[in-house]
Amino acid sequence: MIHYRLAELAELTRHLGRTRQVWQRSGAKEWCQADASNPPPLEAGRSVQSAKGFFFAEQEHIFEFDGRYFRETLPKPAPFALIGVSSCDLVAIAYQDQFFASDPHYQARRQQALLVGLECTVPCEHGFCPTVDAGPAARPGTSDLVLHPVGNGWLLTVTSEQGRKSLQGLNLTTAPEAMKQQRQAQLADCERQFPDDQHIRDGVQALNAGTVNASTWQQMGVQCLSCSGCTSLCPTCSCYGVQDQSADQTITRRRFWDSCLYDGFQREASQHNPSDDAGARVYRFWYHKFSDDFRKDFGRYGCVGCGRCEATCPGVIGIHSVMKRISQHD
Amino acid sequence: MPGKQAVQTICPFCGVGCGMHLLVDDQNRVAAVSPQGDHPISRGKLCAKGWSTPFAIEPGDRIRQPLIRTDDGFRPASWDEALEVIRYGLLDILSQLGPTAVGVISSARASNEDNYAAQKFARAVLGTNNIDHCARICHSPTVAGLKQTLGSGAMTNSAADIDSAEVLVVWGADATENHAILGGHIIEAKLRGATLIVVDPRRTRLAKLADLHLQVKPGTNILLVNALLHEIFRHGWQNQDFLDSRCEGADALRKSVRDTSPTQLADAIGVPAEQIEAMARTYGQANSAMILYGMGITQFVSGTFNVMALSNLALSCGQIGRPGTGINPLRGQNNVQGACDMGCLPNVYPGYQDVADPAVRQHVSDYWQCPLPDHTGLTSMGMTQAALRGEFKGLILFGEDPVVTDPDQNEVLASLKALDLLVVAELTMTETARHAHVVLPAASFAEKNGTFTNCERRVQRIHQAIPPVGEALGDWQWLGAIARQLGSSSLDWTNSQAVFDEMAGMTPSYSGMSYEKLARQHGLQWPCDDAAPEGTPTLHQTEFPIGRARLIPVHHVDIDEPADADYPLQLTTNRLHFHYGCGSMSRKSPLLERETPDGILFISPEDARNLRLKNHSAIGIRSRRGYLETRAIITDDLPPGLVSMPYHFSEAPSNQLTNRAMDPVSKMPELKVCAVRITPLPEGQAPRTIQSIRASAAPPSARENS
Repeated sequence: MIHYRLAELAELTRHLGRTRQVWQRSGAKEWCQADASNPPPLEAGRSVQSAKGFFFAEQEHIFEFDGRYFRETLPKPAPFALIGVSSCDLVAIAYQDQFFASDPHYQARRQQALLVGLECTVPCEHGFCPTVDAGPAARPGTSDLVLHPVGNGWLLTVTSEQGRKSLQGLNLTTAPEAMKQQRQAQLADCERQFPDDQHIRDGVQALNAGTVNASTWQQMGVQCLSCSGCTSLCPTCSCYGVQDQSADQTITRRRFWDSCLYDGFQREASQHNPSDDAGARVYRFWYHKFSDDFRKDFGRYGCVGCGRCEATCPGVIGIHSVMKRISQHD
Repeated sequence: MPGKQAVQTICPFCGVGCGMHLLVDDQNRVAAVSPQGDHPISRGKLCAKGWSTPFAIEPGDRIRQPLIRTDDGFRPASWDEALEVIRYGLLDILSQLGPTAVGVISSARASNEDNYAAQKFARAVLGTNNIDHCARICHSPTVAGLKQTLGSGAMTNSAADIDSAEVLVVWGADATENHAILGGHIIEAKLRGATLIVVDPRRTRLAKLADLHLQVKPGTNILLVNALLHEIFRHGWQNQDFLDSRCEGADALRKSVRDTSPTQLADAIGVPAEQIEAMARTYGQANSAMILYGMGITQFVSGTFNVMALSNLALSCGQIGRPGTGINPLRGQNNVQGACDMGCLPNVYPGYQDVADPAVRQHVSDYWQCPLPDHTGLTSMGMTQAALRGEFKGLILFGEDPVVTDPDQNEVLASLKALDLLVVAELTMTETARHAHVVLPAASFAEKNGTFTNCERRVQRIHQAIPPVGEALGDWQWLGAIARQLGSSSLDWTNSQAVFDEMAGMTPSYSGMSYEKLARQHGLQWPCDDAAPEGTPTLHQTEFPIGRARLIPVHHVDIDEPADADYPLQLTTNRLHFHYGCGSMSRKSPLLERETPDGILFISPEDARNLRLKNHSAIGIRSRRGYLETRAIITDDLPPGLVSMPYHFSEAPSNQLTNRAMDPVSKMPELKVCAVRITPLPEGQAPRTIQSIRASAAPPSARENS
């Protein structure tokens, strides 16, 4: 792995901006297109939205049918770089890369992206990435470049071939050993600062042992307003719905983010609903995130420890609240 | 790409006023929304409606240019042509019948700037006080009732007070469905250890989580308050210091509840006396107790008295004027507080300044530099009645769908058909817009600048994120264009900030506000003036606007239409978390539309059994005013004898059935209870939409009555 010392981040941004659009988080913690010639300061920590929407669009057309022919509506984005993706969100992208491996719409966007990670040096509120092997250090194979703040500058690590190529033409100096050691020390220090996660480990165990009774899930089901906040912000949620819209003899099928917490998610045309009960739907969500059944397929749990569900749930049944409840009620 | 830019604004649904960012893509569309983490109320959360905002305003079926009625529908027209039609229409009516025959219904979904323009247009350009909006059917009794007892008809405290209250009383409000983020705060408070008491005939989500649920019979609010007061005075739980120093009328109130003990009233209220006693004990002895209420208080013929009763309860225990207390109406629409504040009411100018007061009128007349009408105007339902009598001929209406949302649909339709000129400005074609002579394309909240005032009196900026769809205009802009057609330049503003500044210059409670100041923090809560330059989170801390608060004894008022042999069930109305008002925005989301149940008549297992209904059985529902068909959803959230319907659905509108009997003070119709009869449809017969029932040659009503 190659490590460089970067005195000015803007140098990198300007360089990448010559060949791609550059996206960075704004002061409001939202991803926005940045002016590469005059980039805003890089904000560490969790963004409101993960990078999910860059690849799995919140809404998009997937084909058109004019009565005779089907036409594909693949996106053709210009190359772009996401600068400052946190380690947990990088893991989530790698997770979705598996799920959408043969989805042409996802891949059309994904192939154009350069992922520049940014490692956190302090835990974020509700975050628990170390518990689920997703941070604070960027995980191997999840990025192209990784940034880590050291002193007044940056340690820039090249983590993929695409990352190496993206730096061609940029005059960089190799990072001294001390910088790499400083990074390790900062990451270890960050990891030590995370609050106790026993409730999560106990909760995951209870979930997989099947020892949580139905009434506990039902009580939490009463608190689920079906707002879709958790599934919208969850960086690994990938369920979508489709709808055909017709105009001028053409039918367009669009797909959009769906939520398994909606009553209608699994309701059948006969009105029969296998997950009629809100508690069963809450259970299903957490089962998908933490069941060993899915771990086999994806090589990891479907949760990257970002804590966004806890922050956005109006009914107080995000990750920590749920795990506290199910680790106590066994 | 998701968000080329993120534009900060306020959610367009409900009165909570959550902060959100609109993520605008490279084709200038709102691709997604994102919750605002540092917003003081929503704190990084949104409800199902908020999350679906992009669907609500998407260009698909938006009205893109003015439409003029033809014999068989509408034809597209230019703005010039549409304005010309409106001008001739208005001038005709004005010359024949004068300004009392025209009026404006503004929109609680539109901005303060739009609403200020609407009432100024009615008063200064048309010369009439015929200006109203949908607050008539949500919180007009709040404005009327609290104005009398406290001197100000708004939420006395703030959303943040839910965090600090020791006791929370949710009365006739389904907060997790209608004000979901605020409902979430209540769940959070309950989990942290606050005592939660719910008063509601339906077993709502909060009722299921509550420490105490009083499942009262509809229309017994005053009985319950008086029983609570009896118990509180009997045990000496009243706050005597507060009564002595801040209120008047305590003795008369105390006398009036001498014979209203829980034991005497329990049967009439429909809950055990012990529950009433427990509630009195908890509320009466709390250090801080907060009342939050909704349409279950206001939508009765006793609406204003119900509000005054709640006021008596809070005042007697001194639960007002401090953090974590108060009497707090939960307002339905994003800017219904603002539409009231702006004076879109027939009896007050902006800031609730009395139209009938000659000195006030002179002051406003000087400020606007035009003569003003001296008669109080018509309410929205007054306009309906006057239209049926042939005395009211021209209506300009925007962002509302009274055909779906107002009581007694058939009468509303008849009144619209009696108009010579109906102008409707809308995002999409609504049931009401279908009856218009001219339809104007309105800009959505994402397409304009302005302010919304939420239910805790917080004035917050909305920012334009995308250009208007087609030729759409903001409401103050097209109102200005009509004014110019009529020869008036009084609505000639250059931007929304100029409208705001003019408004703040004549509205005392907004006088300390400007766009710059609003931008500095997350809005400002009125009153914001020289005395309170940073706004006022808690009202009435040291004195009431009327000096001492008034305790006014109120007595039970019977509901207008109890169940009887012909119509043996009581119908109440409710709302679903997934839908908003007439559904014109929320029903555009395929996800929210999918959440609409197959049927929308909620019925108890007992009543279903008696009627031999299965879940999803097709049924007909009849009241003395109308008939509709839908399917039954069996739920034990309802007690036997009471059925419930949401009003969002134009194909099965509950307002076919509802009663227009009104609260005499506020003219609020009794939407919360009427008598109905339910009959199962024959096996295999699907429910028909109201449109197809109307179109059919021999409707069942005709058959049955013949």
